Amino acid sequence: MIQLASIKKSYSLGNEDVLVLNGIDLKINRGEFISIMGPSGSGKSTLMNIIGFLDRPTEGTYFLNGKEVLQYKEHELAKIRNRAIGFVFQQFNLLPRLNALKNVELPMIYAGVKKKEREERAKEALEKVGLGDRMLHLPNELSGGQKQRVAIARAIVNKPDLILADEPTGALDTKTSEQIMELFTMLNKEDGTTVIVVTHEEEVASYANRLILLRDGYIVQDIDQENRGEIL
Amino acid sequence: MSIVENIKIAFSSIFVHKMRSILTMIGIIIGVSSVIFIVALGQGGTEKLKSLIVGSGNTVSLSYSPSEEEMKENPDALWSPFTEDDIRSIETIPEISKIVTSSDEFGNVRYRENTIESSISGINQTYIEVNELNVSSGRNLLPSDFLGGGRAAVISSGLSKELFEKEEPLGKIIYVQSQPFEVVGVLEKPTGLLASFSSNEVYVPWKTWRTITGNNKISSITIQAENTEKLQEAGKKAAQLLNQIHGTEEAYQVTNMEEIAEGIGQITSIMTLIIGCIAGVSLLVGGIGVMNIMLVSITERTREIGTRMALGATRGQILFQFLVEAMTLTLIGGTIGILFGAGVAYLVSSIIGFPIIVSLPIVLIGLLFSMFIGIIFGILPANKASNLDPIEALRYE
Ligand SMILES: Nc1ncnc2c1ncn2[C@@H]1O[C@H](COP(=O)(O)OP(=O)(O)O)[C@@H](O)[C@H]1O
Ligand SMILES: [Mg+2]
Repeated sequence: MIQLASIKKSYSLGNEDVLVLNGIDLKINRGEFISIMGPSGSGKSTLMNIIGFLDRPTEGTYFLNGKEVLQYKEHELAKIRNRAIGFVFQQFNLLPRLNALKNVELPMIYAGVKKKEREERAKEALEKVGLGDRMLHLPNELSGGQKQRVAIARAIVNKPDLILADEPTGALDTKTSEQIMELFTMLNKEDGTTVIVVTHEEEVASYANRLILLRDGYIVQDIDQENRGEIL
Repeated sequence: MSIVENIKIAFSSIFVHKMRSILTMIGIIIGVSSVIFIVALGQGGTEKLKSLIVGSGNTVSLSYSPSEEEMKENPDALWSPFTEDDIRSIETIPEISKIVTSSDEFGNVRYRENTIESSISGINQTYIEVNELNVSSGRNLLPSDFLGGGRAAVISSGLSKELFEKEEPLGKIIYVQSQPFEVVGVLEKPTGLLASFSSNEVYVPWKTWRTITGNNKISSITIQAENTEKLQEAGKKAAQLLNQIHGTEEAYQVTNMEEIAEGIGQITSIMTLIIGCIAGVSLLVGGIGVMNIMLVSITERTREIGTRMALGATRGQILFQFLVEAMTLTLIGGTIGILFGAGVAYLVSSIIGFPIIVSLPIVLIGLLFSMFIGIIFGILPANKASNLDPIEALRYE
């Protein structure tokens, strides 16, 4: 589904270029559940943003379903973000003035879905993440785990091919983290949605069936979960 | 994303910060309401003035303004510019439907021991109709008075008060230039703008006037036609004819009363312009206030903007969202301003009795203008929002 080749990303700080991604080659197949680990500053978020079209690489090629997408215009990338990708953030990023239902409706507003259908689908998504009884609550009336569920409902409501979650459990306790990861597992298994999760925690990473290890902008390990024990 | 969604977002973010929004709107409110107020007053005043000056309309006066040479040649004409023969000649012009003449002089009017200086006008019958001379008590001058050169007089309410004080004026004999007249009617008090000018006037039939004053002068001629086009034609012909008869270049001219009204209208427009400028400045200040608050709001909502972009909002949609928000803000301000301005105008008009007109066009202009200010001062913040880098926006604390 996704094929990255020789992706480089550099920032110019003063008159020096800092290389954050140093030639990433990566192939992601439909239905995979991948976790990305690596030390802080190794480029995990940068990679996720590039995969999610929030950022453009300095060099390299990106094929999505066989199409070279880096030459796409800004508004076309916005459309891909809207339809094909669901983002889940560490800080949830729910709009504070909108209740859970309205937050989940947001991506559909940008997709031009009619109000009635929007409401139905948002309800469905919230029920799926187990929040059928909290739909009219504002974000500040929800616990961290519940907020992240709303964010996940929002990420899946447009039925994306790919969910990108950058440290989704970073702000949650262990028990809640497990529930969230189980939710991702379910979405991956039942709906066949491709999921990529960035994390610091072994526990969290163990839910995935493929592990990618980043260091200094390189992929230093890319392994199936079965062999994992030996390598780490 | 539909405009309705954008307006909903705009309203919710405006209502979250009620105080801030209202403070922001104050400049717009003051600007728009002062425009509405002043224009309402100006339009009302202009209309009133016009109706007072033009009267029943479709009339022009003929005036005599000779050159210096003509003046030297015939100094008496200044004092008595028209003659009876002139009127007979003008009457032949087909476009003219009515001719109004009056002969005016100042003189003494006496009742018993009370002598008052007053204007004494000898008028023809059409003068009464065209100038809408109405009596509040007694009767008007009748055709029989005009035909027979009768000794009937109609006096203004101002003169009636001065001459008779509390006595009943009707049927009393007054002496106009030492000649006895019977008071048959008292005119209505002037209303509106002219109410404060209580002038002393006596109106008598023209023939009688000629007898008592011993001269034939005619001070003014006003002609009336069926419609404006005919009137212009008639005025031109009459002036030409008079110049021909009197052998003058262009001493006889047409004074269009409407021109005078326009002149007064111009004064009002200048006033409107000056206050319009003041309103413009407050709208400018208001607009800058809106820009400022929009910039603040966008900074506060940086994460929201980043989130929206991540969820698939295009830059255009973000731009539009904040443009609509700025426009909604100024439109609410404009609407409040219109209501407030019109309210104050009606209040003022009911207190001082000055006529006002709040016309639909000016309300629409007010609304469009406040929307326009929203666009002008909203474009910069909205553009800033749409150019945010989504990654940095998402990271913003
Ligand atoms: N806008 C930027 N300008 C300069 N350097 C940046 C910018 N964004 C990220 N970086 C740098 O890139 C490196 C990788 O960042 P990031 O991808 O966020 O790492 P991770 O998510 O793995 O902790 C870091 O050293 C960070 O300082
Ligand atoms: Mg990171």
